[in-house]
Amino acid sequence: MSAEIELSSVFGRYTDKQLNIKVEGSTVGECLKDLFRQFPKLEKLLLTREGKLQHAYDIYINGESAYPEEMTKPVKDGDKLNIVFIIYGG
Amino acid sequence: MLTEKELQRYDRQIMIYGFGEEGQEKLKKARVFIAGAGGLGSPAAIYLAAAGIGTIRMADHDTVELSNLNRQVLHWDENIGEEKAESAVAKLQKLNSDIRIEAIGETLTEANASQLVADSDLIVDAMDNLPTRYLLNKTAIEKGIPFFHGAVYGFEGRAMTVIPGKSACLNCLYHGIAVPKVKFPVIGVTPAVIGCIQATEVIKYITGLGELLTGRLLNYDALSMKFTEFKVNRDPNCEHCGNL
Repeated sequence: MSAEIELSSVFGRYTDKQLNIKVEGSTVGECLKDLFRQFPKLEKLLLTREGKLQHAYDIYINGESAYPEEMTKPVKDGDKLNIVFIIYGG
Repeated sequence: MLTEKELQRYDRQIMIYGFGEEGQEKLKKARVFIAGAGGLGSPAAIYLAAAGIGTIRMADHDTVELSNLNRQVLHWDENIGEEKAESAVAKLQKLNSDIRIEAIGETLTEANASQLVADSDLIVDAMDNLPTRYLLNKTAIEKGIPFFHGAVYGFEGRAMTVIPGKSACLNCLYHGIAVPKVKFPVIGVTPAVIGCIQATEVIKYITGLGELLTGRLLNYDALSMKFTEFKVNRDPNCEHCGNL
């Protein structure tokens, strides 16, 4: 399955300023694995040592939250994934 | 009843289709609690005061620092060291002397949140930390007060409107997750945009116009100049609103 991960500009420093990344995978976890293969610095940022998504991040598939159990959520061909981090500044 | 001065002052917005004198009277009767007189609270308060909200309560326990001035446009060089709530109220009252503006210089806590928001009709979440945001969200839900969330980081911002018992709340959105408070980067134009979106939502809610940002998280990425929406469903197990 081929999907696209859309990142906000804040992630650009880890992806050579690319914000729309083509990935392969049939679950969110597989898509992220392919994202990390392309941009290894993101893995430490997004995952815990146990390989779980850091609390400060949420994944959306086609605009819908993948929470909970994000990593096992199925991804279809052409899906768009967004990685959203918690912000609280005012 | 609007005075002649008010009819003149708000003429251009009264002209908006569906707004009218009736909409202006609703704004005049409204009591809005703005939690935070900083980057988000400044633009939100300025535009709500200019629009003629009858009562605005500005709550902030901080004092003005030099490093605030790149974004907290209600505070100026001459206000460094002053209480933010007082500094904000002084400017807002000069902007619109016909409305009531109150300064609340207290820290929002579990013990006083309910009393401080008391008889406010709406709460604008312009805070700078998650624990107080959750506290306000919970208080708003307990009291059935609409809650207008906004947050910023760098060139990125978010906004969502919460109608208690009807739409997803902040706790539904972030699952009660706490992240440590650290100094965050931000440029003034980001909270300017998000604070204005919050003020717009407040005006829409009061006047009954348009479609609110309920069940939708609006994400603003200024560097790519994109607005993206994410659907946010109510969490039936939400500790704040799951029982409604």
